[in-house]
Amino acid sequence: MIAFEHVGKRYGGRFEALADINFRVERGEMLFLTGHSGAGKSSLLRLIMRLERPSRGRVLVAGHDLDRLHLSQVPYYRRQIGVVFQDHQLLFDRDIFANVALPLTIQGIEPHEAARRVRAALDKVGLLHRERALPIELSTGEQQRVGIARAVVNKPALLLADEPTGNLDPQLSADIMRLFEDFNRIGTTVLIASHDLALIARLRHRVLKLREGRLVRDGEAA
Amino acid sequence: MSERQPAPRGAQRARPGPAGGGRAWLRHHRAMLGDSALRLVRRPLATLLTMLAIAIALILPAGLWLVLDSAQLLDAQLDESATLTVYFDHDIDESRALALSETLGAEPGVAGTRLVTAAEGLDEFQRALGVDDALSQLERNPLPASVVVTPDDPSPAAVQALSQRLGQLPGVDEVRLDLAWLDRLQQLAALGQRVALALGLLFGLGVLLVVGNTIRLAVESRRQEIEVVTLIGATHAFVRRPFLYSGAWYGLGGGLLALGILALGGNWLAAPVNALAESYGARFALPTLGVSNSVFLLLFSTLLGWLGAWLAVGRHLAETKPR
Repeated sequence: MIAFEHVGKRYGGRFEALADINFRVERGEMLFLTGHSGAGKSSLLRLIMRLERPSRGRVLVAGHDLDRLHLSQVPYYRRQIGVVFQDHQLLFDRDIFANVALPLTIQGIEPHEAARRVRAALDKVGLLHRERALPIELSTGEQQRVGIARAVVNKPALLLADEPTGNLDPQLSADIMRLFEDFNRIGTTVLIASHDLALIARLRHRVLKLREGRLVRDGEAA
Repeated sequence: MSERQPAPRGAQRARPGPAGGGRAWLRHHRAMLGDSALRLVRRPLATLLTMLAIAIALILPAGLWLVLDSAQLLDAQLDESATLTVYFDHDIDESRALALSETLGAEPGVAGTRLVTAAEGLDEFQRALGVDDALSQLERNPLPASVVVTPDDPSPAAVQALSQRLGQLPGVDEVRLDLAWLDRLQQLAALGQRVALALGLLFGLGVLLVVGNTIRLAVESRRQEIEVVTLIGATHAFVRRPFLYSGAWYGLGGGLLALGILALGGNWLAAPVNALAESYGARFALPTLGVSNSVFLLLFSTLLGWLGAWLAVGRHLAETKPR
């Protein structure tokens, strides 16, 4: 599903954010990406989302060589990936339903079908009763669940999450992780960047650990 | 414009078929048409001010164009009244003058003639100047008989040619025409038209800047939204669409305001202009833009608004391209 081959990323010619990264992720896997802030987690995710291009090496996702992807094809590529952001990135000028429907609107899914899928996604994260609420009326944990619903409403093959439990207490974090495991169980490949080591240790999935831009560990949680 | 899709490899999703894609495209256009209008209506004062700025930029060249249009109208009327005066030699008596006048009337390019005998000429002169006494002292009439010729074709070049031809006829002393000032008027009108065109271009650029700047602010205020939709797979066309409609609305609104203000201004000027024209014994109505020119103005302003928005959003999109 994802393959990094000798990937390096420099910013401004000097700062080396990533150096010689090699790994493969199979379809249907669930894994964590850890490391201190500044270790390169975000850079790695940005490469997968094709927000940036590697300075060296190749990134392959779902059969696409991202470096060879034409700029006009990037939007269609991104539609195959669901992304959960740390700060959830909801749009505060529209209600929960519209927020979750956004990926479907972009793809021009017929409104009837879109409504069905939005409700299914909201039901999955337990927020079906709040579809007419505005994001501001929800708690942080609920907002994050809306963010997850938006990421999965399109049934993506790959789900990325950048510190999805960053602002949540342990109980809510565990709930969120359980959600990700549910999606993984139905075949979605899930990659979660997190520095919540305690939580990661309990979940026993594969872990990629970055330190100063290098991949220093790749294996089961210790 | 159908949105291209790459060959689905790896992760395959249910995609709308071509027909479904077209419907979706139309649906989004309709939604954005309404949404962008709603956004403008929600901030009426800011919207009105922007449209007013556009209107003012449009009124100047459009107004100048109207003034020139009326000058041309005047010009055409003057052209029709352009005549030549053919003076005969002094020794030609009245009966010979009559015969010559008939010859002139048969010349090609001559629409009509009016004979002014030497005596009639003196009469006219006296009446025009009010100098009976001075002229009655003269022993003999110093004026020759003359014929006022109305040409077929009133254009300066044709009249010039006709005058040369008539001047060579036997018994003709000289042909007078005063075309210099007509020429000058036409040159002035041509100059004015260029000035109007230059102003039009300049103020068109002004409209572009006004809309571009307004849309740039709108883009700025929706930066997060643009970022999010781009992250989840919105095309540039999708991101651009609402702003393009906003720009078009601004342009259309500005154009309508400009038409309204021009009409009001026309009404306001009509009474004094009519009074002025009447004092010259002329009938003269201020020209109006008319339907086709009004439609053109609206199309032009809408297009300018759309273009300004395109430039503003395009700049933002270029800035946020993946590195």
